[in-house]
Formats: sequence, structure tokens, C-alpha cells
Amino acid sequence: MTKVTVDGVAVEVAPGATLLDAAKAAERWVPTVCFDERQAPFGACRVCLVGVSGAPKPLPACTTLCRDGMEIETEEPRARRVARAVVELVLSELPEPPAPRTELAQVAERLEVGEPRWGGATHAGEDDFRHPYLAFRHQLCISCGRCVRACDEVQGAFALTATGRGFEANVAAGLDAGFEDSTCVSCGACADTCPTDAITEMGLVRQSGRD
Amino acid sequence: MSRNLVELIRRHHAVDAPTALEVLKEAVDDHGELTDDDRRRAAEVSGLPEAAVYGVSTFYDDLLAPRGERHVRVCTGTACFAAARETTIERVGEGLGLAPGERGADGSVSLAETVCLGFCHSSPAIRVGDTVDAGPGVAERAIAGETRAAAEPEWVSLLPEPVLVRRSGWSGLRRALGELGREGLLAEVEAAEVRGRGGAGFPAGAKWAFAAKAEGEQKFIVANGDEGDPGSYIDKYLMERNPELLLEGMALAGFAVGAAHGFVLCRSEYPASKPSLEIAAASARERGLLGDGILDTDFDFDVTIIEGAGSYVVGEETALLACVQGLRGTVSARPPFPAERGVYGMPTVVNNVETLSNIPFVATAGTDAYRALSPDTDTTGSKLVCFNERFARPSVYEVPFGMTVRELCEDVAGGLRDGAEIKAVQIGGPLGGILPASLLDTRFDFEPLAAVGCMVGHGSILAFDQATDMRDVARHLLRFGADESCGKCFPCRIGLRRAYEEFATDAAVDRARLEDLLEALELGSLCAHGGGIPAPLRSLLTHFPEELGLA
Repeated sequence: MTKVTVDGVAVEVAPGATLLDAAKAAERWVPTVCFDERQAPFGACRVCLVGVSGAPKPLPACTTLCRDGMEIETEEPRARRVARAVVELVLSELPEPPAPRTELAQVAERLEVGEPRWGGATHAGEDDFRHPYLAFRHQLCISCGRCVRACDEVQGAFALTATGRGFEANVAAGLDAGFEDSTCVSCGACADTCPTDAITEMGLVRQSGRD
Repeated sequence: MSRNLVELIRRHHAVDAPTALEVLKEAVDDHGELTDDDRRRAAEVSGLPEAAVYGVSTFYDDLLAPRGERHVRVCTGTACFAAARETTIERVGEGLGLAPGERGADGSVSLAETVCLGFCHSSPAIRVGDTVDAGPGVAERAIAGETRAAAEPEWVSLLPEPVLVRRSGWSGLRRALGELGREGLLAEVEAAEVRGRGGAGFPAGAKWAFAAKAEGEQKFIVANGDEGDPGSYIDKYLMERNPELLLEGMALAGFAVGAAHGFVLCRSEYPASKPSLEIAAASARERGLLGDGILDTDFDFDVTIIEGAGSYVVGEETALLACVQGLRGTVSARPPFPAERGVYGMPTVVNNVETLSNIPFVATAGTDAYRALSPDTDTTGSKLVCFNERFARPSVYEVPFGMTVRELCEDVAGGLRDGAEIKAVQIGGPLGGILPASLLDTRFDFEPLAAVGCMVGHGSILAFDQATDMRDVARHLLRFGADESCGKCFPCRIGLRRAYEEFATDAAVDRARLEDLLEALELGSLCAHGGGIPAPLRSLLTHFPEELGLA
């Protein structure tokens, strides 16, 4: 076992455990956006930064492995400042605020990130409501990769992919002709994991009057 | 990187199937743009799911711009910017009546931007087909269909005995296979403290030792020839003028870590690199220097030359491995490091082209001789540096570490042409800091450059003359940064776009908000792209704040 402390609380974790695992064991909250415990860590959102004794800069909790004697500080000031800055950037790329029930909105609220200070480009509106159950709202996609990984690692359907690059990055099903013209098996794992409702159930879209 | 996709690729590679990227590149070369039929065929042949192929097809520059019979690519790299700002792309666009990314209605001509063609010594540069033209009148020639091949200056070694500029005699490999042995070679490379020449400066021996110990039924060597840093044409010279030195270095790496195969990933922006390496590899095979039973020993090693498809971030090692396997060139979080899980999920050494080209000398002459190459500093080995067109004698030069930047700029490259004066130099690529003229006496070496916010990086020394507006420089670098972000990590994907937007108009830049953003990029980014672009911005904020339009 590996012994570390998280905000002063001593915990023992299994070899190969991440800083995020240690924080969970110590019942300390670390904000995450691209992380889903059913999937391999991805390290994209950089919201899970924490302070680690001896490290020159904050480290991502989801992809950094624990070593004996590490002292982990979940609210290290620089780490928290960057996490807030990143969540603010994410809110600034969306053409509308995320629905309050979404994971992104909840992380933003808990980190006390309000209206973003950034103007600039947002993602162009592109609602794809062709599938009977799955709504695909590309303008809400924040490229966290959770849907693509759910389809790959959990379902094994490989119907989804990341597309584009940089600010134009997004996701698509199949050859970008929607879920129905892809290898999608309508399992809903993508909608289940999506932190912004970019992929969600059509029923929820209808309820919110967007159909 | 998806383990499932990598496993699919490994199985298809075992039966010699091409990668999805190779199939897509061939389709664009054949008929100028991709169709869904091409994507389906790439999926079928490579074994990748259709969605994954679609993702690849939307990532690389070469797969995105439609091509006419005459495909005109205007270099918008930093040396071309220093020479002519954005006037070349504007002039060619007007002359052809096309915007970048467009193809004329009759299909005869198309226009695209490219970064960078490695003709920084003769900027501005334009590529038409596989011919690169450069220098005065280049835009008019491209418009008129009279493009001609530009000459490249000879490279020069300032060392008493050239190391990187001399031809390979394969004496290093002979000595390694004979008296040194595997352990002896590894010990020699570790003791020589060969630092990576591609930007990060990581000790090559440490990577090798890690890969040598790693468990794997196969191991691989990958030469990183994706010299995307605008302003740098060092690896281009090595791959095109001295390819056997690189191949010998790769064979040595293979011998040291127990790998039987290597890949060179060179850039599609350098159309001469892949043919040069393939000719050299074929010749080495004929002479028994590559292939099975090298030099009548039981050591087998061969190489495959792969060409990228237009993406700066593919120069990052995990993105490079994704590109080698035909996937989207996005960065992956480490661990796992390539030495543990690289090509096909197997232990892999990734070294820069110049780094590997240093190894034959270490194997031949030993650690003490390698240290003696730079007598005035503890840094070992020599370094290739290159200069942009603003200088009187721009070319690639082999120099010892420890000279001052002023000596390099004035004595080696002859100062600026036409009596112009240096305002600042950017060293090592777009992620390197910018050194103002007042600090030119800084030594060209890892630690002294780091102390002034700069880096050795790739070794390019790119001068901006006194006529340069440093706000334009900031905008140019941030546009490049945003365009080339792979889109994986959030700070870089969104933050570089926001930083570019700050400088894209004439509006005042909120300094406090910009500095918050730079901190988020520096501390939060997944790789050196988002983490490094702030370095030149910090330099500009320190040395030229009055030019940036700050509020």
C-alpha cells in the first residue's frame, strides 16, 4: 500500500492509485469535468489540479500516481486559481449557460465561477434531433471525450469520434451523418456521461421545450 | 490514446495493412479532396472504425484543403512573417482570386496556408506541388505559374572536426556491435549526457535505460522528424543531407534497448525528406547495415519512413506516436510514457532527429570526446543552429554550446542584411522566449537561456528587425498557437483562442486578465504547446510592454 496525506488526512491507497483516488479515500472533493470513474483517466480538462509537496507546479489528480509520503493539498491556491480560470474558459465557449442539472454547471457553482469575463467566439448552434432517443447538440460540446470513451471503452461500439482540432474540436457519430447512420446501438452511455447535455435524451430536450 | 484502437491497429499492422492516415493521404494526392467513400475504404483497409477515420480526416491540414491541379501553399511561418508580415498570402490570394482553403471553380488552382516550409533562410516561401520557391518575387511567380526551385545554402561546421555535418561511416555501430556491446553502449550514452535536441532537453540515456528495462515482446525506436517549429530547418538538413547519420543513430538506439524496428516520422511540409531517407535506407540495406544480421551479427534492425499530414502538435511525443499509428495527432497524458507503452502499445524510444544524429559520434569517440565538443561549458556535444532570412549569412551552422547569442548573430551569421539592426531574436521556436537586443550577450546554452525566459529549443535563431511591431509578433504567435492546438486539453483549446482574440483587433488588451490566462496555460496545459506559448508573450510583456497596447 502507498501512504499519502490529503489536506492533512493520512490515507493508504493501492499501488497504481491516482491522487484523485487518494482524495476520494480521504473524502476530500476535487473538481473534475472530463473524468468518469467508469473510464480510463483522460487528463484533458485540467480542472482537477492539486498541490503536491515538492512538485514545482500543481499536478492533475486524475493522471498522477501516488507515491509514498506525498502530501496532497486539494485547495492549493494556484491549482484552484487555474481550475477556476479553466471552468470560466469553458463557460465562455458555450452559446448559452449549461442547464443547472448538468455536471459542468454544478462544478462551476461549487467553484464559484459566475458569468465568464471572456467574450469572443462561441460554438455555432447545431442541433441534431434525427435519432428517436438521442439528441446531439454540438454547440454544447466541450470536447471532454467522455462520450467517445464511453462508446469505445464501455460499450465497444466505436460509433463516436473527436473531430476537428483546437477551438473547433467537437464530436461526431460515424461519418458525421448522425447516430442512426453509425454503429450506434442506442445504449445511451454517451448521454449518461455527458457533463453538458451536448448528448442527452430526446425526452429531456422535449421537456425543456426545445423540440 | 484509445487502447482498443491501438490494439486494432497492431493486429492490422501485423498483416501489413496501411494505416488510415496513409490511405487518406493517398486519396487526397489522387483526387484532391476526401469523400465518404475514401473514408469508408480507409476504415475497411486499416481496420479502424468509420467514426475514428472520420476523426482523423478532420484533424490534419493536408486532408482539409481541397487541391486543384496547381496547389499553391504559402508559408505563414515566423521567418516569413519577419520578412514580409502577412503580405505574401494576401498578394497571392488577390492574384489568384482565392481565399486560403479555396479551390478555383475550374479546379485548375487552389490556395492554402502552410507552416512552415523550412526555407526560412530565403523567406518568403511558397510551395507549388512539391517545388518550393522563395525570396523576392516569389508571390508574382506563384500567381503566374512560374514557380522555380529555390536554392538552399550549404551548412557549415565551426568545430575543428565536424560531428553532425560529416557523413556517417557507420563506425559507431561497428564499435557498438563489437567492443562496446549493448550494456557498454547504453552506459556510454548515459555518461555522455546527451540532452534532447527537439525542445525539452530531456536526457536521451534516461529514456533508453527506461525502455531497455521495460517488458515487451517487441520494442520500437521512433525518430521525431516533425520539426514543426517555424524558423527551424535543422532536422530538414539532417534528414535530407545526412540521412545515414540518423539511420545509424536509430540502429544504435535499437541495439541498446533491444528494438528491431524503427520509424522516422518526417513532415509533409518537407517533400524531399521522405525520399532522401528511403534512398539512404535502401542503400544501407544493400550494404548490410540495416536488415537482418547486421554486419554479420545477430542484430536485426530496419526502418519505415512515414510522412505526417500537417499538424504542429504532432511533434509532441505522444501525439507523434498517434500519428505514426494513423490516428488523430492529439496529446495523451503521461504516464504511461512511450518507453512503457508506445507504438502498438509496446515500449518505444522517441528521440528527435538531431538527438539520434549525435549518437554515432558518442559510440565512435566516447564520452570524453563528446564532452570536449563544447569546451567552455558543462553541456555536452555540439548544436546545430539556424538563422532566418533577415541575417546576412543565413544557414545551418554546427557550433559548440556556450557562445554568446551576439557572437552567433554577428560573427557567425554576419549580422542583419543591409545594415539593419536586431530588435529581438526568438530562439528555439514558437514556444521559446524572445530575447531583446539588450540581452544578446546571453550565452547560448540551456541554463543561461532559461535564466532570461528563453530556451535552446530546436536551435533556431530568428531575428526581428527594428521595423517590427511587437504587437504584430504577439498576434502572429497566438494565431499560430490557436490554429495548431490539438484540442485535447481545455486551457490550450480555449485559452489560446481567447489570447489570440485579445490581440486580433486594435482594442486594448486587459493585462491582468491576460496574465491570469497565461498562468492557466502555463500550469494547466497538458503539453508544451499550451504550456510554452506563454513564454514569448511573457518576454514581450517584460521587454516591449509599451508596444502591446495594454490597458
